[in-house]
Amino acid sequence: MITEELVRKSPMRILENSMHGGLGKGKIGVLASRKGVGKTACLVHIAIDRLLQEKAVIHVSFSSRVDHIMTWYEHIFSEMAKNLGLESEPNLLDEIIKNRVIMNFSQKGTPTGQVLRSLEALIKNGRFPAETVIVDGFSFPQSSPDDLQKFRDLAERLGLEVWFSASLKKEDPLFDDRGNPYELECCLGQIDVLMTLQHRQEKVYLRLIKEHGIQSPVEVGLILDPKTLLLVET
Amino acid sequence: MALDIKKVRNIGISAHIDSGKTTLTERILFYTKKIHKMHEVKGKDGIGATMDSMELERERGITISSAATNVTWENHTINIIDTPGHVDFTIEVERALRVLDGAILVLCSVGGVQSQTLTVDRQLKRYKVPCIAFINKLDRVGANPDKVISQLGEQLGRPTVVLEIPIGLEDQHQGVIDLVTMEAVYFEGNQGEIVRREPIPSELRTRAEKARQDLLDAASMFSEELTAAALEGRATQDQIIAAVRKATVARELTPVLMGSAYKNKGVQPLLDAVVRYLPDPSEIENFAFDLDQDGREIKLQSTPEAPTVALAFKLEESPYGQLTYIRIYQGRIVKGTELFNTRSKQKFRVGRLIRMHADSLEEIEEAGAGEISALFGIDCQSGDTFVAPGLNLAMSPIFVPEPVISLAVFPEEKRSSDRLSRALKRFAKEDPTFRSHVDPESKETIIQGMGELHLDVYIERMKREYGVALRTGMPQVAYRESISRRAEFDYVHKKQTGGAGQFGRVIGFIEPLAEKGYEFVNQVKGGRIPRDFIPACDKGFQAALKKGKLIGFPITGVRVTLTDGQAHEVDSSDLAFQAAAQGAFWKAYEAARPYALEPIMKLSVEGPAEFVGSVFASINQRRGIIISSSEDGMFARIDAEVPLSEMFGYSSVLRSLTQGKAEFTMEFLKYGRVPAPIAEKLIAKYQEKLRGSEGK
Repeated sequence: MITEELVRKSPMRILENSMHGGLGKGKIGVLASRKGVGKTACLVHIAIDRLLQEKAVIHVSFSSRVDHIMTWYEHIFSEMAKNLGLESEPNLLDEIIKNRVIMNFSQKGTPTGQVLRSLEALIKNGRFPAETVIVDGFSFPQSSPDDLQKFRDLAERLGLEVWFSASLKKEDPLFDDRGNPYELECCLGQIDVLMTLQHRQEKVYLRLIKEHGIQSPVEVGLILDPKTLLLVET
Repeated sequence: MALDIKKVRNIGISAHIDSGKTTLTERILFYTKKIHKMHEVKGKDGIGATMDSMELERERGITISSAATNVTWENHTINIIDTPGHVDFTIEVERALRVLDGAILVLCSVGGVQSQTLTVDRQLKRYKVPCIAFINKLDRVGANPDKVISQLGEQLGRPTVVLEIPIGLEDQHQGVIDLVTMEAVYFEGNQGEIVRREPIPSELRTRAEKARQDLLDAASMFSEELTAAALEGRATQDQIIAAVRKATVARELTPVLMGSAYKNKGVQPLLDAVVRYLPDPSEIENFAFDLDQDGREIKLQSTPEAPTVALAFKLEESPYGQLTYIRIYQGRIVKGTELFNTRSKQKFRVGRLIRMHADSLEEIEEAGAGEISALFGIDCQSGDTFVAPGLNLAMSPIFVPEPVISLAVFPEEKRSSDRLSRALKRFAKEDPTFRSHVDPESKETIIQGMGELHLDVYIERMKREYGVALRTGMPQVAYRESISRRAEFDYVHKKQTGGAGQFGRVIGFIEPLAEKGYEFVNQVKGGRIPRDFIPACDKGFQAALKKGKLIGFPITGVRVTLTDGQAHEVDSSDLAFQAAAQGAFWKAYEAARPYALEPIMKLSVEGPAEFVGSVFASINQRRGIIISSSEDGMFARIDAEVPLSEMFGYSSVLRSLTQGKAEFTMEFLKYGRVPAPIAEKLIAKYQEKLRGSEGK
């Protein structure tokens, strides 16, 4: 019951509506913002939403320690439950995270080939039925469009939806007049859905810049609550 | 006299199996004049290194027991506590680590950071043990200390400060350059006992100066005084030592030394480093659990004046009786005074107080906070806390995990069964996770422990130390039963076969109870069951829990609530109500939908990243859940949760999957529900066994 409630009332439904049903299999989504604005929180929120729907998730990370990522899930889950006035159920979290595997690559600049090899090994050899892959901390400046294309090929081959975070580090302005981050311009061809988190008037807005080939920046109607780090309706 | 605490070091020597830990320990004992002859580890001369006091360890070249030994170096007392490295010996490892204030991490200059290095490194970090690294075996072909230093940083995440560079490697290895004094150090005499210091050879000058600069840069981060002095080119030895010491104690830097213990090179400077850089006991915070305040943690004062708190961390049978190794955390222990054991609640008088060498003893009058010593003839268990009367503190939580695996053992010779029971008794006393009993049905001797290797080691020890050769049955997983829903009972126990009858009626319900084994709730009103019989009911329920009727294993996670009942003036008795409770329980049990539980283990596999696919597959085939994988360059570690019943023989499977390059550790995590198809098999097997025994 609590599961259904969490899924039904999730702001992810709003997000899905604004992108015609969600990211979809074989597609690449990117969430871009400056460091520390809340990308990881958003991606974990997306991941938990999938887990609640009994979909298997792989969380790939490059920057954090495994226990830090686990803490993220605990935090976001308990805030989600609290938000609906439900007592956080630790058993439910234990239950759903059985469908999550964290893959951490702690060495900077681990070749994309190695990441993909391990990802595929987990899905095939480990028979892990992943549908969603979260890639947090992937370095876009240090990678080529080719690297992203390799992810895309794998996503298509294995029917995965892959969400990346992209940390924007350059000086302002960060975005061109169509809302695309300058730093991601080289890879736009490989990105199906592009979202940004932008700080305005003490609030963090989620904007949908591009979805499935259509370039039309819109406010999704979601903001990131700075206290809980949850996406909520504006 | 108690020792000056500032001049005490309690250290462990941690290493991967073949890094030369025992040889190094042996050399330390020799140079500190504790022994007069050196032996080699694997006993070419049939004697073996002094520290490995157990035969088995000698043969396998590994160390299981945490014997402590006491040496003196530069007016300092160093207690060396031997630490077991394998996770299967969790309790022993944890106890040994608690007792340490610092450690030497030994690495092989060829093998570098190996899988067990990671395990011991993790343990050292978990217990916040400051550490110095010793890169050993510089005389070996392929020695590459620079590689090992970068691995310390990259794979272990330890920022290092290199204090020595080698003079020659492999068969050219002659000594080291001390970057603090900027001298070449050579080790001469038959056994390297003469340390000769000389100017740095010209061909190494440039390299040494660069390394010295790196040392100053790293150490300066921790001392403004050194920073200023270094800038002016007048950094003194004392300033450098003080800065490195500060960073080491704070666990910000790991000093690196090197040499070849086997070739007697570099050991004395390592001892200097232990004294210089590792903390004395007063620099480490230690906590105890206050049993009068719900186990709240309180900080101990490492002064001799405070009331005594000491931990019995290791028991050993010696030719003179039971020896109890203790670490004093607070106050002091004086011969003839009284102490209190907070577990057994017994007072005892300190008889003989001893300082230990690996195989000899020195009797002392008193020992103070920070010291390691031993007591004779104290009746206690490993892990007990001894305090001054009036205190009620425990150094370690009382919780001891239940064994998860059992094995039937049969002595090859009938005559040895006496020795077998002596051995079992002693092992159980030393290690609370090791137990034994005789199965009432099969009359077999069953030993229980925390894993396959855990039991293997004890089987070997029985053979070696007690001369009891054993055959073993198949390892058996410690399953449990539990219930999934509430069920009511209303049960009458009635017997009238002439003479006094038996009568008892109990009414109530059983229900699942998360996280706890058993709870009994009495809600009987108006004396429908006379108060005197309530404990008998409780006892009856508990008797039923001992062996479930689903698969024949203990039942856990049940709350029994007694709401009503009936007694008979004459025929009711304790016995009658015990029988009624048991009968009621079994009546409700089936309706409560019992299910089977199995031990789930936390598994960590470490090895080259190229093998992750095979490891993932092996975990999946064993019904495991992969929790995470971490890759650090070419090295990978996979964490998973796997049912113990699927893990027998995994070490050989993993060896063949990874060409012997991966290793795993495993420890008990929790009980989990057995999946239906497997549970059905267990149930069928048990039912068949029941029918078989009925048929007899």
